[in-house]
Amino acid sequence: MKEISSAIQLIPLENYIVLSIALFSIGMMGVLFRRNTIAILMCLELMFNSVNLLLTAFSAYHSDPSGQVFVFFIMIVAAAEIAVGLSIVVMMKRNVDSVDINLLNRLKW
Amino acid sequence: MILLIILLIPIITGLFLLVLRDPATVRIIALTSAIVNLLITLGLIISVPSASYSVNWDNFMGTQFSLGFDGISLIMLLLTNLLFPFIILSGFTRSHVQIPVLNFLILFTQSALIGVFLAQNAFLFYIFWELTLIPVYFILLLWGGENRRAITLKFFIYTLTGSLFLLFGIIFLFQLTPGLHTTDFSAFNQLHIAAHTQTWLFWVLFIAFAIKMPVFPFHTWQPSTYTMASKQGVMILAGVLTKMGIYGALRFLFPIVPQGVIYWQNTVIIMCLIGVVYASVIAFRQTNIKKLIAFSSMAHISLMAAAMFTLNYYSTQGLLFQVISHGVTIVALFYMVHLIQERTSTLELPHMGGLKLAAPNMAILLLIIVLGSIALPLTSGFVGEFLIIMGLAKLSIWFAVFGGTTMILGAVYMLYAYQRIMLGDKNPALAKVKDIRTLDYFILIPLIAIIIILGIFPQPILNLVEVSVNSMQKLLIPANEVVTLFVR
Amino acid sequence: MVALNSYITLSWLVPAFPLLGFLITGMAKNRLKNNQAGIIASILVSLSFLMSAFLFFALRSSGQESATVTLFNWIAAGDLKIPFAFLIDNLSVTMMLIVTGVGALIHIYSIGYMHGDDRVNSFFAQMNLFTFSMLLLVMGANYLILFIGWEGVGFCSYLLIGFWFKNPAFNYAARKAFVMNRIGDLGFILGIILLFFTFKSVGFTEVFSQATSMHSGTPLVTLITILLLVGAVGKSAQIPLYTWLPDAMAGPTPVSALIHAATMVTAGIYMIARSSILYNLAPLTMNIMIILGLATAIFAAVIGLRQNDIKKVLAYSTVSQLGYMFLALGLGAYSSAVFHLTTHAFFKALLFLGAGSIIHAMGGEQDIRKMGGLRKKMPVTYFTFLAATLAISGIPPFSGFFSKDLILSKAFENNPLLYILALGGALITCFYMFRLLYLVFFGSQRLSTVHPHESPRVMTFPLIILSILSVFGGFLNIPSLFGGDSRFGEFLNKSIISGITEELGSATEIGLIVSSLILLGLVILYAYRIYVKKADIPVADGVSTNIFSKAIENKFYVDEIYSAVIEKPFGSLSDFFFNKVENKVLDPAVDEVGILTSKLGNLVRKLQQGNMSFYLFAMVAGILLFIIFILIV
Repeated sequence: MKEISSAIQLIPLENYIVLSIALFSIGMMGVLFRRNTIAILMCLELMFNSVNLLLTAFSAYHSDPSGQVFVFFIMIVAAAEIAVGLSIVVMMKRNVDSVDINLLNRLKW
Repeated sequence: MILLIILLIPIITGLFLLVLRDPATVRIIALTSAIVNLLITLGLIISVPSASYSVNWDNFMGTQFSLGFDGISLIMLLLTNLLFPFIILSGFTRSHVQIPVLNFLILFTQSALIGVFLAQNAFLFYIFWELTLIPVYFILLLWGGENRRAITLKFFIYTLTGSLFLLFGIIFLFQLTPGLHTTDFSAFNQLHIAAHTQTWLFWVLFIAFAIKMPVFPFHTWQPSTYTMASKQGVMILAGVLTKMGIYGALRFLFPIVPQGVIYWQNTVIIMCLIGVVYASVIAFRQTNIKKLIAFSSMAHISLMAAAMFTLNYYSTQGLLFQVISHGVTIVALFYMVHLIQERTSTLELPHMGGLKLAAPNMAILLLIIVLGSIALPLTSGFVGEFLIIMGLAKLSIWFAVFGGTTMILGAVYMLYAYQRIMLGDKNPALAKVKDIRTLDYFILIPLIAIIIILGIFPQPILNLVEVSVNSMQKLLIPANEVVTLFVR
Repeated sequence: MVALNSYITLSWLVPAFPLLGFLITGMAKNRLKNNQAGIIASILVSLSFLMSAFLFFALRSSGQESATVTLFNWIAAGDLKIPFAFLIDNLSVTMMLIVTGVGALIHIYSIGYMHGDDRVNSFFAQMNLFTFSMLLLVMGANYLILFIGWEGVGFCSYLLIGFWFKNPAFNYAARKAFVMNRIGDLGFILGIILLFFTFKSVGFTEVFSQATSMHSGTPLVTLITILLLVGAVGKSAQIPLYTWLPDAMAGPTPVSALIHAATMVTAGIYMIARSSILYNLAPLTMNIMIILGLATAIFAAVIGLRQNDIKKVLAYSTVSQLGYMFLALGLGAYSSAVFHLTTHAFFKALLFLGAGSIIHAMGGEQDIRKMGGLRKKMPVTYFTFLAATLAISGIPPFSGFFSKDLILSKAFENNPLLYILALGGALITCFYMFRLLYLVFFGSQRLSTVHPHESPRVMTFPLIILSILSVFGGFLNIPSLFGGDSRFGEFLNKSIISGITEELGSATEIGLIVSSLILLGLVILYAYRIYVKKADIPVADGVSTNIFSKAIENKFYVDEIYSAVIEKPFGSLSDFFFNKVENKVLDPAVDEVGILTSKLGNLVRKLQQGNMSFYLFAMVAGILLFIIFILIV
């Protein structure tokens, strides 16, 4: 555990932050601009993981393990969420024979 | 402990009733529980100087399940437990629709009301305050008359909105309390709130009570709700529920925001007196008898509200006396209206008339109740209104003049209504109307007896509240001693 | 003395008897048959009269001026202490004797008059309740007990005016009477409240003992007296609240005699005489009373000139006579007012009972134009009626002469103009009373369908007693001019503080009396010439062309004016409040909140298009905005 922390600390914190921002932005753009529902779910995962990365980095730099604990929580929630999300996609494919997000336009009122 | 028993008897009986089927048994059990509760209450008033009951609730928001009473609570408790036997008794008819549920709801209301009057903790008060709405909502919705959905919804949302302000107020006070925050009234009463805060906090707290009473111009839910409600619904509403507003105002405003009360005193009194004249004038031309009595009740309640803000000894005494007197009178009056409706199958005055020929005893009883309502001396209404007008006169003679117009206008519209119901020549449509039955005597005679006995011997009630009134007076600045001839 | 004092404590029996009567006849009203209710009621009121007479002698021989009997504490709230107590002094004993005495006679008369009515038991119950209330009124030891009686008699009057409740017009008259009384009552109760704040008590003895040390013209006392006066004006039917009294004739005739002539309407006079000390302190109020009283006396007398309903004539005459009593009160001659009250109770009750006897005989006909020639057929009624007419006109030695002359001479002392106006009113009174007498009893019978007959003995007996009182009642108070000692006035002056002391010179007084007698004689002669010699029967309403006489016939359109100025606008105001303010402003204002909320919801709903991309975009944009907001602020 010590080694991992020190290994993480070998790279300056700024690099982690920049990488996270980059990953997060890519993910966000993907969520906003892709029409394929599966791609959107993947982009969501990307955003989650960028946050996880940042949490881990900060946790190591502060030598406070609670950040890494949160990462585990997030991973579990993400797994659950992706399971629900993918099942929705499967149902969607079965019903409308497409995974285009814009077809889900009756979700209102 | 005795307080907890008083609180729980109705609701436990009510729950038990739900498993029963036979309407007659249900009614008798409900009535018995109400009477037992009344007897316990009377015993409490006579023998127990003070009692309290409290359980700590794991310090959630500093709340406590604490019950207790003072003279003001006792009056309210007495009124509630006095009226509910009659309200239950009035359901002893041939109707068999959902009797267990109806009686459960009535007893539920009784418990919630008792909770309101006994709670020593603002949060607990609030819970009971909102709890009363639930059974009343269903009583109105399930047994109401024409257009009941829209009217009940309006009533519900209107009062709920008012209560929301009250909740804000309680939370605001909660975070003002020192140390570990608490919502106990005793802690609230010791707060010293800045004067400018009190001026706005007053309205936050008052608005809920103003809607419940109701005071002009927050009364618009009332006439339609009264008109639509079933007999028991309207008896609960007019007899007890409106008094909750008065009780709440006494509990919250005077000890907690005294400076706010004094700051707004004249405004509120003028508002109430406008209500008095306004409601009395409107009542004159109403053709629906229930609506007429609704407006008359509003006029009386407005006068009581005005008395509350007069802040002197006489009117506070008069107010608390009038709480009992008005409760009894209005319940008797609405029961009478129900009897009339049952016999004439209409509520419209122009379709009535000449009922006295067919039902002379009914006419006499109605006349006595009407006299109580227009405050003829030697009925209870007079003692209350006399003290109230006296208190108003102490503040300003003009207040007394406008408050006193109820005496004139009340006589105008009530006697006009009496004339149009009872007097006049034989009405062929009503020729075969039956006079009142034994059950009606059981309800009306005791109520009338209370009206008259309290008119001749008002002293027990006045003594009961004496201590509380005195302690309340100490909270406020000594009211002006000289007689002012004009509005200050 | 101690023994007598203990008798006085029995004074609660006086109102207790009629109350008992009310309970018996009221509770058992479905069981009592024939005249039983009437007999019970009459006996109980007579017992009450005997008790009053007993108290009168007990009081006189005890040498005490007054005695207070406290039954229990009625209201005690803080410094407000109101005992349920009776004050027995010369004034209240006098009033008790009048109320129970005249009351008992009228009860007896009613047995005959109401015979056969199917609600006769209710009638006697209500009459007894009235007597009870009236006794509370005159016996009360403080203003609030007085007020109980005050409202109680108003309520009984409401019941009895509307006794024949099948007729909507009667019900209207009953309601009108009650409401007009209530207007006065509001003033009265405000006066009582101010009185309490001023003197810290509403008991007569406490208030009056403090008032003696006050200065005349204190504004607060003036205000109090004016407010009390408002009450008296309502109850004693003075301008502007007099219109209920003529309408009150809708009730059975004994009711008119008891309530609207002898007792209830004199309550205002009693109350002001009782408060004489306060009124002496308020010259302004006294002047108002003089003006009101004189105006009412003349105004009502003028209206009485052209009335054709026998009871309406007597009603306006009552209003007019009450005006004289107010005049006397305003002049500070309280005992004269009470004296006139006493004699008026005798002769006006007699007139009403006589009228009742006539109406009975005429089969319910009340129009004097249709009567005539009853002198032969109803001799007892005729002679008693004649005695009362002479008394009310002020012909010596009948009772009215002494009492009215006393008031007139007091008026002369104050201002000769007052005297002339008051004398004018007296002449008018004399004229319309003799017009009535001549039209009813002289000439020939004009309605052939009925066969008048003398009333039964149970009705004529009270007439005879009352006529004796009307004839000789004046001797109670023979002024010093005729060698008397004004005993009645002296008796009352123990309880009343008179506002004036000076006496007229006997020469002036004799001059006044002689001149007024000559004028009265001329008026009677004139009336005789018109109505007996020429047999001039008044024409039907609306035929006369003269504007002035038309106005009189229509009672100066006062009812119409009140209806147009007060009743109609009140109704319109009620409609306005309900239809415009309530239904167009207040109620919609509340509904508007709900409507606004749902409109807002409709508006926001537009954002919810169902387009997932848009939701995501909005979410991200929102987060960004939020971050920017945090960074900037």
